[in-house]
Amino acid sequence: MKVAEKDIVVQGMLEDEYARCREVIEALLAKAESYTKGALNVRRKQNKEKEYAYHYLVRRDGKKVVNRHISEKELPELQKLIEVREKCRKEIRAYKKRMAYLQKLLKKPNPGGGRHESAAR
Amino acid sequence: MVVTNLLPDNLFPSSIHGLLRTISRAGFFDRSVMIGSWVMLVYQELYGVRYALRTMDIDFAVHIVHTRSQLRADLKQLITGLGFTDYLAAEGVQKFTGDGYEVEFIGQRSGGRNKGFLSVPEWNVTAIPLPFINILMDFSDVAELDGFTIRFPVPEAYFLHKLIIARKRQSGAKRGKDLEQCTVIMQVINDERMLQVAQAQRFGKETRRHIAASCDAIGFPLHRIGLS
Repeated sequence: MKVAEKDIVVQGMLEDEYARCREVIEALLAKAESYTKGALNVRRKQNKEKEYAYHYLVRRDGKKVVNRHISEKELPELQKLIEVREKCRKEIRAYKKRMAYLQKLLKKPNPGGGRHESAAR
Repeated sequence: MVVTNLLPDNLFPSSIHGLLRTISRAGFFDRSVMIGSWVMLVYQELYGVRYALRTMDIDFAVHIVHTRSQLRADLKQLITGLGFTDYLAAEGVQKFTGDGYEVEFIGQRSGGRNKGFLSVPEWNVTAIPLPFINILMDFSDVAELDGFTIRFPVPEAYFLHKLIIARKRQSGAKRGKDLEQCTVIMQVINDERMLQVAQAQRFGKETRRHIAASCDAIGFPLHRIGLS
């Protein structure tokens, strides 16, 4: 059976891309880490004829789920921070997917299994 | 500005197209240029040379007027506004990522090797300092697509730059890619312009050696660069 000779340039580009993915993931994880964790939740309460909305930041603290009340004043800034973190996580997921593909292609061992799993989830 | 080079509107993938349009409208391409493997796509359209391999990096050589110059356009805000995410890479250099692409700015490194990054207050970005980037900015051309203009190095400048950096690469694969691109571009080299680009540079002995070695590797006569 004829075996195609390895193309050093193509192989090198794939290796570079694999390394780049890892570097970007590390950098995005570091960025995401510095932003507020959790999701915003709204609780609505009816009082007489009026409905009041209360915003909460829901996040995990170990096994506990922590709810923190967010004032109207804090809300816009917090929404922005959560949005940025979400964007980072979305990018991390995309890069992880690409890395998994390259891992198979380059026959690389899976380093540390789901090392970045929690941050990208 | 009269632009004679016309590119197809759908030449680039949509996220790169959007990025180029945004920074073009901000005036970035007045003096700065697109570099890296995506330039080969421009050459393919304008000169008929074909090179299929492209990286996910979208690189720009940024012309730095003065390190204390005033803000002209906030590229960080414009690029993140397009959906790209900014992050700090090694050495504190700011990069952007979106749709798997990585956007980075590169500036001329003059003198010492110790600078981690260059501040570009004119565009509110930071740039990676590298030598010989001026060759790409000093000899450039413009092309129009979809109603906006992009600037890119003339093939002779891109060729000369690749000849130099190929020998500086630690990775054999990267060197191979640089020289492959040179092999493709050399078919469309204009000798007069090649000499003009080369004669505008002041090369040291080592750089001359690098150029000679690269020329030898691809079978390009050194006298066409005026260095023999």
